Amino acid sequence: MSVEMRRPAQPATEGREEPTPQGAVPMWLFILLFVALFWGMNYFDRHGAWFNGRVYAPYRSLAELQMHQPPTGGINLERGRAVYESVCALCHGVDGKGKPGQAPPLAGAEWVLGPVNRLVRIPLAGLTGPIEVNGQQWNLAMPAMGAALSDEDLAAVLSYMRTSWGNKGTEVTAEQVGAVRKEIGNRTQPFTAAELLTVQ
Amino acid sequence: MRHGALVYLGAFFALALSWTGFVLTPQMQVGQMVATNTVPAGARYPVARPGLAQQGLQVYRANGCAYCHSQQVWQQGTVFDVMLTDGGTNQPGVVAALQAVMPRLSRPEALQLLEGLPKPVLRGVSREEAESAVKKLTTSGAKATLWIEAVGPDLARGWGKRRSVPEDFLYDYPVLLGAQRVGPDLADVGVRQPDVGWHLRHLYAPASVVTGSVMPGYPYLFEKRRVVGAGSADALALSGDHAPEVGYEVVPKPEAKALAAYLVSLRADAPLFTAPFSVGASGGPAAPATNAAPTAGGGVP
Amino acid sequence: MVSPEAKAKAAAGAPAIDAGSAEETVSCRWPLLVLFLGAAGWLVAGSLLGLLASIKFHSPMFLAEPAWLTYGRVKAASAALLVYGFCVPTALGVGLWLMSRLGRVALAGPVVAGFGGGLLHAGVAVGLVGVLRGDGTGFLHLEFPAGAAGLVFLGYLLLGTVGVLTLYRRREARMEAAQWFVLAGLFWFGWIYSTANLCLLVFPVRGVAQAAINYWHTGNLLGVWMGLMGLGTVFALLPRLAGREPGREYVAMFVFWVLLLFGSWTGIPATAPLPAWMPALSTVGTVLSGLGVLGVAVIVHQTLAGRYGSVWRDERLRFLGLGVAAYVVGGVMQVVEALSGRSWMLHFTWFTAAREWMQVYGYLALVMFGTVYAIVPALVGVDWWSRRFLRLHFWLAGAGLLFVAAPLAAGGVVEAARLLNPALGFVEVSRGTLMFLRLSTIGELLILAGNGLFFVNLAGTVAGICRRALADALRRWGAETTGEGAAA
Repeated sequence: MSVEMRRPAQPATEGREEPTPQGAVPMWLFILLFVALFWGMNYFDRHGAWFNGRVYAPYRSLAELQMHQPPTGGINLERGRAVYESVCALCHGVDGKGKPGQAPPLAGAEWVLGPVNRLVRIPLAGLTGPIEVNGQQWNLAMPAMGAALSDEDLAAVLSYMRTSWGNKGTEVTAEQVGAVRKEIGNRTQPFTAAELLTVQ
Repeated sequence: MRHGALVYLGAFFALALSWTGFVLTPQMQVGQMVATNTVPAGARYPVARPGLAQQGLQVYRANGCAYCHSQQVWQQGTVFDVMLTDGGTNQPGVVAALQAVMPRLSRPEALQLLEGLPKPVLRGVSREEAESAVKKLTTSGAKATLWIEAVGPDLARGWGKRRSVPEDFLYDYPVLLGAQRVGPDLADVGVRQPDVGWHLRHLYAPASVVTGSVMPGYPYLFEKRRVVGAGSADALALSGDHAPEVGYEVVPKPEAKALAAYLVSLRADAPLFTAPFSVGASGGPAAPATNAAPTAGGGVP
Repeated sequence: MVSPEAKAKAAAGAPAIDAGSAEETVSCRWPLLVLFLGAAGWLVAGSLLGLLASIKFHSPMFLAEPAWLTYGRVKAASAALLVYGFCVPTALGVGLWLMSRLGRVALAGPVVAGFGGGLLHAGVAVGLVGVLRGDGTGFLHLEFPAGAAGLVFLGYLLLGTVGVLTLYRRREARMEAAQWFVLAGLFWFGWIYSTANLCLLVFPVRGVAQAAINYWHTGNLLGVWMGLMGLGTVFALLPRLAGREPGREYVAMFVFWVLLLFGSWTGIPATAPLPAWMPALSTVGTVLSGLGVLGVAVIVHQTLAGRYGSVWRDERLRFLGLGVAAYVVGGVMQVVEALSGRSWMLHFTWFTAAREWMQVYGYLALVMFGTVYAIVPALVGVDWWSRRFLRLHFWLAGAGLLFVAAPLAAGGVVEAARLLNPALGFVEVSRGTLMFLRLSTIGELLILAGNGLFFVNLAGTVAGICRRALADALRRWGAETTGEGAAA
């Protein structure tokens, strides 16, 4: 007595063969699949830190990780990098090379490496109108960040810019940023390149 | 499904997806990692292990130590503490500030707290609470610092100061994280037990230093030989049941010395951007945290 | 030669799997016997080493002296023998047989397949010596040093090529579930094993990227590859042995894609020092692949509904049934383990060991036992050397699995609870598991005995046909010489 391995239905041996009542996928399995997919998306959203390579559990985002950094007296370039990547990199690029039509480069830019008092004004109140960067003309507008970033964070991010991507500038201190902030008061008008060039 | 090619293509894409996710992406994210700086001290981390410790990793691999020991510390969360480091001179003001920070603290308790500083004032609070407490205390003339503490059962057990991160293993080959904790986690065993002599005795006869240990001994990493002259400087200081017969001594072979050097090089105690914590309650950076073996502690190289 | 079919029918008391055409049988016979016999040998050696490792917990200084018998090496060797010595060759052999039989075509290149099997076993032998000598890689489920892994891979490559070619030459156009499963499995193993060995041993990647690849390989090997090879076999054999024609295969298709798409993302524990998205994604993948496990339960229930009695009456079905049950239990355990990662650390405890026993021995090995028991009589044309051994093997395997997995799982839960309590010293944590480990040693002893019976039975059967073939040849030679003598 043998069990037939071939498919063409030969006459059932002694009536032992009968079709398996195997049919469609039960509906509940599909419903469960969608429930699980929905749960999975939520779970990943909560714990996955959106594929960020520098965030490890139990931290769930770069912001949360930053919040847990120890307070520092001096400039924290790691903090600067974090601020840069969350605020500036969207337009200026993670590599500081800028993006055509969005923002000029920061790497090697005379505006970044020039006088600190001039540089600090740009993120504080924004910048508008024509400007020449690395010998190339740009005509765009940059929004003000002064209200969103503390002196420490601005100092950190500007220091990061002045020391990264081959830039060899000095660091910017929170005091320098605070001084400029006081100087320009609550100016809301963005600066122009011509106006900035008068600042030394 | 009738076509083999279809099944093949489906399998190809499914596996290619998983390969991209779990092989290629980590290779780009952590496989390209370079040394980083500790936060806030700015020291370079990690430092390559000394040569002997690198040989010791090979002994660790060859004898399957990773089958019983993990090297991955689990961190459940991070909390903020307020450490009072100095009471200052304005005692009434500081006591008032302390009572403002800890509403249920009585005056005598506050005075008592000011003895034998540094002491934690608040534990496990949010950053805002901690910062406002630090501000209140410093305004009153005391010195207080915000202290960041990684917490979890592993850390409470004293198995490290923070979770394990890729930097801890940057220069290692092979990276053996282990899968099971038949024995304790070893990620920072060199901090817990920096004594090379202890590790050698433990490797030779675990029960001689840890009562009730289920770890097997590794007598084959040692040599029992007749004492010649004054005996070897390397001989293990064994006592009781574990000591060799009179006239004999137990000396470690090079493999044992290398393994012990590797074990004390397991420190993983550097505060990093990716795994922040405050070093030491008493403020001020502790000894520079490195992967390298400490120079002090243990007479055996 | 007497026709194998006739002999099988004459010898077998219980229904045997149809021998197929003589051409198919002859082409499969020796390559498969090489694979199975070697695998059974490695299985016995592996479970012996496993038992040794288990005993060391009760007496840490037991056989501590020779370096090659130290716990870490013996444990590594035993794990590698179970996976690469037994599971890989048997599953490949069964896969080739399915390709030939379901496609109604002789094996493409039986000599190549036999040679591939030989290479595979040679690789395992070299690897075993390497691990015991201290040349093991330290990577879990990739224990063999590069040279041995190369031999294993080469052997696999030959066997896999034969499998794919056999499928390509099939006479039956339609593919059934078993064929997609085995095809995907053949492809899967090649990719994961080559990637892992190249990136870890030949051109090692930097730092923790090694661990990521190791986790990825383990997840794919235990979850997807073993899933594909074993389930394919079950889907082909279960209905036939239960006396049913395979029905439509929509649920099998569901299981197939769930396994491929989600199962390939499992294996990274929550504590791993890897970016948070990796363990998070892996947990999601594990939970989603749990749906495949439910699908398997649905298929088995649909196939056996109203026929559970037949499972009990037929030893081969018993093996398959228990194997599938272990698959479901193992899958559920894996989901529990993944979900508990953030609060319980079950994955650091003996619970993981219990789950791996379920998946590797309980599921794949038992399914392979049942399949080998079903197909070897048809291949060699005689029944098993001892039917009593076969029945006893089932009881030993089942009881062994229970005694190993249940205490380890319970011990793991106790251990996890104690690990959470920092007030308990670690010695107390590990002491709390000793009672469970003692029970599991009994289980390993039973499993060793069962595996021994399997090996003896297989070897006895093969020796029987060898002796008969030899006797036939001698008689023929004798008849010729006496004939010549008479003529002279």
